[in-house]
Amino acid sequence: MSSLTPRLRQGRRGLLYLALLGGGLIWLYPFLWALGSSLKSTDGFFSGGLNPIPSEFHWSNYSEAWTQADFSRFFVNTVLFATGTVIVTLLATSMAGYVLARTDFPGKKLWLGLVGVTLFLPHGYTIIPVFDLIQRLHLLNTLWSVVIVQSAGGMVFGTFLFMGYFTTIDRGLEDAARVDGANFHQIFWRIMLPLSGPMLATVGLFACINAWNSFFIPLVFTLSRPELHTLSVGMFNFIGQNSTAWTLVCAGSVITLLPIVLIFVVLQRFFINGLAGAVKQ
Amino acid sequence: MSLLDTRERRRASPPRPPVAARPGLGRRIRAAKWSYAYLAPMAVLLLAFVVYPIFASFGYTFYRWNGIGAPGDYVGLANFRQILHDGIFWGAVEHTFVYAFVLVPVQLLLALALALVLNNPKLKFALFFRTVYFIPVVTSAAVVGVVIQLMLANFGDSAGSLLAKTGVTDGHIDWLGDPHTALAVIIAIGIWHTLGYNLVYFLAGLQTIPAELYEAAKLDGCGPVQSFFRITIPMLRQVGVVIVVLAFIGSFQVFDLVQVLTGGGPYFATEVVNTYIYHLAFGGSAGAAAEPDIGLASAASFLYGLLLIVFSALQVLALRGISRRRTAAHQ
Repeated sequence: MSSLTPRLRQGRRGLLYLALLGGGLIWLYPFLWALGSSLKSTDGFFSGGLNPIPSEFHWSNYSEAWTQADFSRFFVNTVLFATGTVIVTLLATSMAGYVLARTDFPGKKLWLGLVGVTLFLPHGYTIIPVFDLIQRLHLLNTLWSVVIVQSAGGMVFGTFLFMGYFTTIDRGLEDAARVDGANFHQIFWRIMLPLSGPMLATVGLFACINAWNSFFIPLVFTLSRPELHTLSVGMFNFIGQNSTAWTLVCAGSVITLLPIVLIFVVLQRFFINGLAGAVKQ
Repeated sequence: MSLLDTRERRRASPPRPPVAARPGLGRRIRAAKWSYAYLAPMAVLLLAFVVYPIFASFGYTFYRWNGIGAPGDYVGLANFRQILHDGIFWGAVEHTFVYAFVLVPVQLLLALALALVLNNPKLKFALFFRTVYFIPVVTSAAVVGVVIQLMLANFGDSAGSLLAKTGVTDGHIDWLGDPHTALAVIIAIGIWHTLGYNLVYFLAGLQTIPAELYEAAKLDGCGPVQSFFRITIPMLRQVGVVIVVLAFIGSFQVFDLVQVLTGGGPYFATEVVNTYIYHLAFGGSAGAAAEPDIGLASAASFLYGLLLIVFSALQVLALRGISRRRTAAHQ
């Protein structure tokens, strides 16, 4: 490397940027194509092929998808569903992560072992007993059922993340608080939880993204209530009923994909730090 | 503290698995009452919606049941026998393993190469590029599947004719409709969709390597290739084991992508175990049994679960063996 002249090295660096940029364009091509196609006319959609740039901009695709295809309702449902899932997940996993990291109690190791084993078992089919359970709790066809089942699926991952995070916090802090007369609850809610801000953001963002993208769970638990459908389920149904309105499907895809991509881009630091922390442990 | 009180406590903590009685156990449980209380929401959700369903499904394996009403005919081990003799099940196992064993090495190599490039401190816009390559991860497999299906099924001709012009193929290719290409297309999309995870994992691993090591190696006359094999690879070993295990676990559970793109078709060419189980339980596959059979589906997923546990154990043992031997060799 050191034998290269500066100009040659600069050229190599330029090529590297070009390759990264070109690769990135190809990488995001399906999204760019969906974005472009969502603005095409129906004819333009078929003649345009893989060209993402529309010849004229049909913004009406969005208003049609939003009102006629009911994407406004799906959007509100998805926001409620994701918010509920984030709250339930954060409460349950931060509390569990704290006691597993910082307290000792009989049965802890056994519980951790059981939790670890569940990671390996295939989950797809267990929807039947879950469906049965939700039905017996009289929660079928409510957004609550979707929130609870979705949150339950994220318990293990969130708990492990909080556990890892709380383990790294200096023990002296807790001891000092205890000396000052703080009880168990005060230590958790006033000291440990506020300290875990980055982890709250990480686990919350994970729960939010997973809920937003969830397809199978909202599909099964709101099957007979179209007014409770989320974006992905709504889009699936829309395709089933309107097999030719491809430009509206693309507009629906953009309405579904864009918010979560924006949330990720703004908050990515927390997401990526969380992932990185999880794998480093 | 009265004896009665202690017994109450012990009974009042049902989520705890029983522990061999030791002196002072009751007292220790009582002292940890708030630990149990804080664990309870997570424990209840996990037990009710993850652990209980696994056992409940095991109960279903002995019945022929279409999922409506109470389980019907008791059939003993007939469901297991039927699954073990079903060529489609073994085909699905094979496809899942092909999916995993092609996806994991290709994806990890690509991710590692990209991570090495992006980890260069002199590279500008590294954060921007990381974001770009990570974006597919945060998008829904179901919606991505729809978009790519539209691109491929309606406009596959664009790509197809491009290939035809360059002489690679002759004319129209139905990428997802042709049994020879469908699984390959799904694997390619799978690599694209989740590569970002491994990119971030590798970047995290690379950042734990102290820069002084590279500087020292440089002073000792090591070239970039030598320091890659002598420093980077050995230092990534620990993170690498986790990455490989996670990548395999994820690949073995592939469902959404296959279901949306092909539904397991054409002619079961892309049937993976999770779509096979889904079709047994809910119907919906052209060639599968018309009547949904929860018992059969549960038996299939139980057998697959066993297979995965055995595979995971072997994998962990093998990876541990490798890293131990290497560590010994380096000392």
